[in-house]
Amino acid sequence: MPRIYDHLYPVFKLTVNNIRRHPIINLISIMIISIAMLMLALYFLAYMNADRVVSTWRSDLKVAVYLDDDLSPEGLILLKSFCLDLDEVIHLDYISKEEALKRFKVILGKDSSFLSDLPENPLPASLELLLDAEVADIDTVEHLARQLRRQTGVDEVAYGSYWLRQLFSLLKMVKYLGFIFASFLSAVTVFVVASTIRLSLFARRETIRVLYLVGATRRFIVMPYLFEGIFQGAVASSIALGLSYGGFYYFKIWLQEQVPQWSIAPMLKFFDLSSLLTFLLLGTLLGIAGFLISSRWLSRD
Amino acid sequence: MILNRYGHFSASCRPMIRVSNLSKSYNYPNMVLKDISFRVKKGEFVYLSGPSGAGKTTLFRLLFSDLKPDSGQIIIDGLDLARASANRVAQLRRRLGFVFQDYKLIPNYTVFDNIALALEISGTPRRFIQKKVWRVLKVVGIERQVERLPLQLSGGEQQRVAIARALVNDPRIIFADEPTGNLDAEIANDIMHILHSINGRGTTVVMVTHNRALLQKFKRKVFYLNHGSLQAYDWLN
Repeated sequence: MPRIYDHLYPVFKLTVNNIRRHPIINLISIMIISIAMLMLALYFLAYMNADRVVSTWRSDLKVAVYLDDDLSPEGLILLKSFCLDLDEVIHLDYISKEEALKRFKVILGKDSSFLSDLPENPLPASLELLLDAEVADIDTVEHLARQLRRQTGVDEVAYGSYWLRQLFSLLKMVKYLGFIFASFLSAVTVFVVASTIRLSLFARRETIRVLYLVGATRRFIVMPYLFEGIFQGAVASSIALGLSYGGFYYFKIWLQEQVPQWSIAPMLKFFDLSSLLTFLLLGTLLGIAGFLISSRWLSRD
Repeated sequence: MILNRYGHFSASCRPMIRVSNLSKSYNYPNMVLKDISFRVKKGEFVYLSGPSGAGKTTLFRLLFSDLKPDSGQIIIDGLDLARASANRVAQLRRRLGFVFQDYKLIPNYTVFDNIALALEISGTPRRFIQKKVWRVLKVVGIERQVERLPLQLSGGEQQRVAIARALVNDPRIIFADEPTGNLDAEIANDIMHILHSINGRGTTVVMVTHNRALLQKFKRKVFYLNHGSLQAYDWLN
């Protein structure tokens, strides 16, 4: 009885033969798919890390409540109590006028000497509210700010809503545009694989005819092309992952050197193992899709 | 064992090939083959001959289901080609051997691999392949070329490889389309001797040729085609 190995061996042999016989076609195909997959990988990396950074910022979402100078100690106690009763607030810090001045001096550094010449401390006392990231979306924060502004003794409420809202909208847009972009790149990849296999089928039509004549079934004939599609997809996605890792690594170093104060670079992460495997699988599936399209062109006769 | 007057197997009763009322046109109503019927018995050696454009190659291709007929029936080794699925046709082809004028060898496969391919496709276990390939290499006399690529061989050697590939699965029938067409007279004689020796072992051989000299030298039954009709069905003298 023939074993499975006896059936698979000639298929693998033909696959290797196909690839070795047309290295240029395969190389060009792998290069094009690699570029498409690289763009996909960079898009996913950018989106994934932007989402992570924004989530981190969201989890560190603070609201500063600036107080009137004439707020009495009883009024302050009442206001603190009101803030702590809010569901979104998980922690509260009171920053006195003196503390605020001290912090400001630290920020200004050598340029802070002029503060000593001022007749009185111009900075207001404030309450720093740390919000629960799970419940505090932008709409909640804005609602909260309106509530706080209505309280006695509150002069101003600051929470950087504008840029955060812009960032959220941008991310949402990137997500939807990215979907279109990813679909387009996937289609390009499938088209490239399909065209390569079609070229390959055309170039090897005489070999295919010989295979039919010596009794090969259609399945036997198309299997090497399926493996070729898988090979192209897997190799191209591996190359794309390698290149995107290189790009990611240098971008992280560059970002740390350019804007160290943002502390973004340490938050950036490359794909984890499951994402890497998913990406490889995606490349392989695109290769199979390309094969499925091209195999329709392979006439039975 | 019954031997005919040439010292070969006498044909048994069961037809190996039965063609009934076969017609084929590429561009209707111009018929390439018109209502052709004939039989080839087991162990026979027959020629399909006729002038260029007579329909030899069309008939030849119809016989191994490389083309579909417009009407009529072809039964090869008990299989009705019109009713057979693609897989059944593939299985039938594993019991047939093919030899072509242009050899149809895979250029970047060695001689060994080209011959082994026919066995691999039929799922022959690897441990038997080596032995079977060497056996047919000896039959056609090209053992020394086993590691060469087809393009490193002469035309005659390439045709021997093609014959070895056709033989390796112990075929019931060998179909040969102008197997000597590209060869000089001496090598053509060698190839004809090989084919006749294969026939001598009981394999049915159907050979397409328009070379009258060969027909005269290696006398066998001839199906003579002219303008799509089977005009002669006799020994050619």
